[in-house]
Amino acid sequence: MNLQSAQVDTPSLLARARRGDQAAFASLIRMHQASVFSIGYRMLNRRDAAEDLAQDVFLQLYRKLDSIESVEHMGFWLRRVAANLAIDWLRRAAYARVAPLEDGAEIPAPQADEDPLMDRELVRLLGELAPAARAVMVLRYQEDRDVAEIAATLDMPVNTVKSHIKRSLTAMRGKMIGAQLITAEELP
Amino acid sequence: MNEVEELLRRALRRVEPPEGFAERLVRALPQVTPANVMALRAARKATPVSAWRRFSAPAALAASLLVAVFTGQHLATLKAEREEQAGLAASRELMQALRVTSQKLDLAYEAVQRPAPAPTAEEENRS
Repeated sequence: MNLQSAQVDTPSLLARARRGDQAAFASLIRMHQASVFSIGYRMLNRRDAAEDLAQDVFLQLYRKLDSIESVEHMGFWLRRVAANLAIDWLRRAAYARVAPLEDGAEIPAPQADEDPLMDRELVRLLGELAPAARAVMVLRYQEDRDVAEIAATLDMPVNTVKSHIKRSLTAMRGKMIGAQLITAEELP
Repeated sequence: MNEVEELLRRALRRVEPPEGFAERLVRALPQVTPANVMALRAARKATPVSAWRRFSAPAALAASLLVAVFTGQHLATLKAEREEQAGLAASRELMQALRVTSQKLDLAYEAVQRPAPAPTAEEENRS
């Protein structure tokens, strides 16, 4: 099955995957793999760990397909499981000792108006945040989710999510000014 | 903060997993469908539980409690017996000590009561 036709009819893909159609399930994976893998990668800062996490998440999805109500619900479910699993892994000693950004960490190929050094520094600063705050920032700025959905995804009060965003932005801005990546006048 | 937010959105673009990720994952899937998993779960829930399996855990718990109570009682009895025997031994030792002291006192009393021998002539001349 090619991906284009899979995207046209995702509800039927979901139904077929529930009946054990592995090609349909592979199409569902392809539709969501970048989101799930990137959540793991931004949270754990390691490609191998992100791949392990994504595999765990999709295997859990396979077992729970009968409880997935719709394609939208599947997206929410995947983000929720990926973010919470990454927070759990980060709290384990093995991942807590990982440096904030592994050497050679992947930054997507820059586009014309982009600054790879700035991107790398921002990802490094993100890696310095506590696991819950990091998850909030990844869901907000990578996945472009609103505050209410982030709160539901992470089982967190809305005000806590707002507070994490505000404090994280302030801390990152301060460090960027300190590192002379931006000047105080550049920002309101 | 708007500019930092824009910079973050740009830096946090999604990253694709390694080539062939979905195919590898599907090949590793267990050979049961989600529907089979649900059916197995439902069947497991519906299976009647035997009387032995239903009561084995409470019975084991009750037996453990009884063993603990009897062991505790036995240990308490042993401790009381040991204390009683130690008390008796101490009492015996005290009585023995008193008997020895009494005998020594009797000897001392007899020595005091015995009349002193009369002085000899040589002793009288010296004085």
